[in-house]
Amino acid sequence: MFGRRRDRDRRSAAHVAQHAAAGRDDRKVYSKRGRRLPGEQAVPSYTPSISARSIDGHLLRTGQEVYAWYRLAPQRWSFRSDSQRQDLIAAIAGQYAELQGRWMHLRVTNRPYPIRMWAEAHVHNAVRRLPDTPGTLSFDDYMVGEQQQLMGRSMAEKEVYLGVQVQTRNMMDRAVERAAPVLRKVFPDAVDAELVAIESEIDHLDQVIGSAGLEGRPATAEEMSWLMHRSCSLGLPAPRNLPAVPGAPWEPEDLASFTDAADFHQEPYAPTVTVRGRTGSNAGIKRHVAVLTVGLMHGLQIPEQDDPWVQRSDRLPAAVEWSARIYVRRPEEVSGELQRQMSKVRSQVRHYTDEHELDPPQSLARQASRVLEIDDEMTSGFTALGTRVRSWWRLAVSGPTEREALRLAQGLLDLYKPKVAIEHPEAQYAIAREFIPGEPLSSSAYLRRGSVLWAASAVPTATAEVGDRRGILLGETVTATRRPVAWDPWMAQELRDSSGLTAMVAGLGAGKSFLGGGIVYKTLRAGAHWTLLDPSGPLAALCELPELKPYARPINLLNAQAGILNPYRVVAEPQLDHFMDEEDPERAWRRERALAAATRRRLVLDVLSGLLPFEVARLPQTRIVLLRAVRTVGGRPDAHPGMVFEALRRDASEHHEHAVVVADFLDEMRERMSLLIPEQDLDPYNEARDDRLTVLTMAGLNLPKDGVGREHWTDAEALGVEMLNLAAWLTQRSIYERPKDLRKGVWIDEAFFLSEVPTGRVLMNRFARDSRKWNVRVLLSSQIPADFLKIQGFVTLLDSVFVGRLDDDQAQADALRLLKVPIGAGYEQVVASLGRRPGGVRTNLERDRAPRQFIFGDGAGGVERIRIDFSGPHLEHLRNSLDTTPDALREGSESTEVEVSSPPQDPFAYAEQYTDEYDDELAADLEVGLTDELVDSAHGEGGNRRPGREGVA
Amino acid sequence: MRVRTDDEVYRVDAVWLGPPKATFPWRARYVAWGVGIVVFLLVTAVQRQVGFGFDFINTGWGFVITIALTRFICARISHERPLSSVVAMWVRELTSPRETTSGRGGAASAARIRVSAHRPRKRPKKGAKRASAATRSQHRTQQDRRQKEVRGVRTPA
Repeated sequence: MFGRRRDRDRRSAAHVAQHAAAGRDDRKVYSKRGRRLPGEQAVPSYTPSISARSIDGHLLRTGQEVYAWYRLAPQRWSFRSDSQRQDLIAAIAGQYAELQGRWMHLRVTNRPYPIRMWAEAHVHNAVRRLPDTPGTLSFDDYMVGEQQQLMGRSMAEKEVYLGVQVQTRNMMDRAVERAAPVLRKVFPDAVDAELVAIESEIDHLDQVIGSAGLEGRPATAEEMSWLMHRSCSLGLPAPRNLPAVPGAPWEPEDLASFTDAADFHQEPYAPTVTVRGRTGSNAGIKRHVAVLTVGLMHGLQIPEQDDPWVQRSDRLPAAVEWSARIYVRRPEEVSGELQRQMSKVRSQVRHYTDEHELDPPQSLARQASRVLEIDDEMTSGFTALGTRVRSWWRLAVSGPTEREALRLAQGLLDLYKPKVAIEHPEAQYAIAREFIPGEPLSSSAYLRRGSVLWAASAVPTATAEVGDRRGILLGETVTATRRPVAWDPWMAQELRDSSGLTAMVAGLGAGKSFLGGGIVYKTLRAGAHWTLLDPSGPLAALCELPELKPYARPINLLNAQAGILNPYRVVAEPQLDHFMDEEDPERAWRRERALAAATRRRLVLDVLSGLLPFEVARLPQTRIVLLRAVRTVGGRPDAHPGMVFEALRRDASEHHEHAVVVADFLDEMRERMSLLIPEQDLDPYNEARDDRLTVLTMAGLNLPKDGVGREHWTDAEALGVEMLNLAAWLTQRSIYERPKDLRKGVWIDEAFFLSEVPTGRVLMNRFARDSRKWNVRVLLSSQIPADFLKIQGFVTLLDSVFVGRLDDDQAQADALRLLKVPIGAGYEQVVASLGRRPGGVRTNLERDRAPRQFIFGDGAGGVERIRIDFSGPHLEHLRNSLDTTPDALREGSESTEVEVSSPPQDPFAYAEQYTDEYDDELAADLEVGLTDELVDSAHGEGGNRRPGREGVA
Repeated sequence: MRVRTDDEVYRVDAVWLGPPKATFPWRARYVAWGVGIVVFLLVTAVQRQVGFGFDFINTGWGFVITIALTRFICARISHERPLSSVVAMWVRELTSPRETTSGRGGAASAARIRVSAHRPRKRPKKGAKRASAATRSQHRTQQDRRQKEVRGVRTPA
């Protein structure tokens, strides 16, 4: 319907031949001959009824103008400080101001989330994935399920395009274009002269639009084709396959692929225009499109109170198309107009007061002062932010029936109430055509005037962008814009060179286990290896999932072999072949060995002093004798704490008596410490197994309550914390047993103890340092963000963060600190309201099964509120196994833990004498903070050690 | 940051209250006066055409009709929708494409094509055997030449 086929039969053969020659090599043959072949009929000439005549690269030419089209980059909006947002608006306004005297055409359209592309990338990224177990959910079925779940959401991604008028075309340009077929032979340069002449101007525009703010880049051929197609088939579903269009310059005949795809029709004064698809996947599909326009607007507080006013429409649960025509005015035009308005106001005032002796309306005084204000804005300051624009903003929503379209239109009206009036004008067809690039403005009604700052505060590019395009599906964003969230936990290490530390903070029942379990399950399927430390134990249920069972092993550490938590063995021994890529492998390896030895000594010291009663542990001589004993034993991996006890008894210094007392105390607890001390001739680390998933549980471990100080811990609680610490070290060593490049994961639940024990920070540092080198994702979860913040420098080491619902004010502020989001800007409320059902009924007997929400900071700058969604039917067994909420009515199907003695470990021969180079040792001691523990005593090993301060309590 | 449009400045209600010191009991915008004058001229012209004479009664009725029409038109225009764009939109409403209920062309019908199983052939005549034998050689050469021209191949002998 957009195409007009003229003169089907009337035209002479000569004309046909001339037209057919237009830029087409194959048709030149015809023109050379100048005659028709026998049997050939006249080729009807084609003129598209849209104004566009040709597209060259990102340039679109109509009969009158040349437009350059740009694709604008999405901008993050949520969880940014107001000043950052203001800067963004000011930057965009500055760019608009540079386009004085030009028309702009802003188009917001959308593209369905590329599910197929995600699936392809995900499968491609799933290296060494879990072999399928017969009779269980296979990887292919799992991928199909994931895609079906995505498809059910019908989520679309917003795309924003900006066309900028480059120049108007004169008669000469048009004449040259008409004569192009002939000219190309005679004087080929003349044909391209028009576009060549504006090259420098286009370069200038590319630069203006490409700078920070809009961050536009010239639209590609594929994007131009998409934009044209979406505009000419306004409101129709996205085409599944685009009509084939060349990437080279497009001639009017090629535009038929857009214009023929749909036709528009309308009854007089009908509230909608009907669009009927004619080709491709849309053939026969009809949509009713309601075109609206932005009416009067109140003052808006952007960014403090209001969303950017174009972005607001993203809240509608349907795609909204925008088309805005903006003309950036030159200051001299505006000042003349302002003067005219001023004199109009004055003459009206005179008319009322002098000629009729009446009081003039208040509005006149207001208008006069506003004129003065605008005049002042335009003349003050050196920035061009006072530049004025005239603009027309149209919106379109579509539905399968007229009723549905009008319902959505009403939804938009309500959405913008009361500050912005959305009008529903007549001439729907004419206004719908404005959406097509190159079409002229159809009506001057609903003109909006304002400053560039006002136009920029629309921020159509504001969106919710978090995660990546190849990882596992976590759910979707739930702020103004809804998009699927995919996250590849190893992308940071593999591509961005950042650490693999992730903090997961949420209150009780906020969905930590569910989220973490989902991440573990999905990444396992995609080929990762995981070691989980779950003190309370419910995550062991993951090992019972039929598809994971052959590759998973739950270990209850409390029932494990003696010596499994031997502090000397939980720190991995560095291997020389891991340092082959260093400059001096031998030296690096030695340094690393010294560091490992120092870490062991430090760990033993911490664990043993942690086990002593608080009153004994805090005595300075306790630390002195312990340190001396630990030093005597050394940092060999084949030592054990029993040796330290013996060393204590052999202490010959002036603290001998105290040393014996300490040894007695420790001996007293020896039975309970059986996990720390291996039995004779029994090394639990001998068995090697290659499991994809190892879940370490410590069910029944006594842990202190939140906020109880160290001095009030019972012996059992102190032992519990120390064992947890050692277990964390054990998970950490599991990463060194696998090849460096392999994707590994470690999840430590209840990671609060990291801040309670002095070695927590050492462990964190090791995680942060080695997670990138060893390609590890470390998930640390806790209920209290302050636990993490207490560890010095933790925030800087963090890569990504998940924050769930937290009720305490302080906890909310701490969570924002972890997210690196401004504090005190009102985001605390967001943390408090995550996943809370609106108007929840307290007496409700139904369980709250609504998907939990988290704020997700992906470490690459994106922070968004997301909803965790593992609701696909293919994941039902996963949901059931992760349901940690107690239910007395549930059938008693307890997960039985397989008691296996120990984690896998390569047997390493350690016969050689453990000798450290002195400076390596010192450096290692400094790194793990051992020197701080040294007490200035007569038995200090060297004068170069600096006198230590009081040890850590 | 408070952002707002400049629209207020351009919404000055320019009214003409009447000649100095003689305030009309109504307030009408200048545009209403303009529309009123044009409408009055049109109404008067129509009255003349229809055949009403130019007298007090008819002109009075003309005034009444003018006021009604002007009020009707002015109710539909505002600063948001100036007269010009309302007229333009009206024109666009009239010229927008309508749904075509009758299809162009339609299904191809073969009802008028006559079909027979055999093509008509020349019937051999008994008496003319000799004559045909005499002309056959001439015939064949003609036929051969035509085929050669078209296909460029020799017919098998």
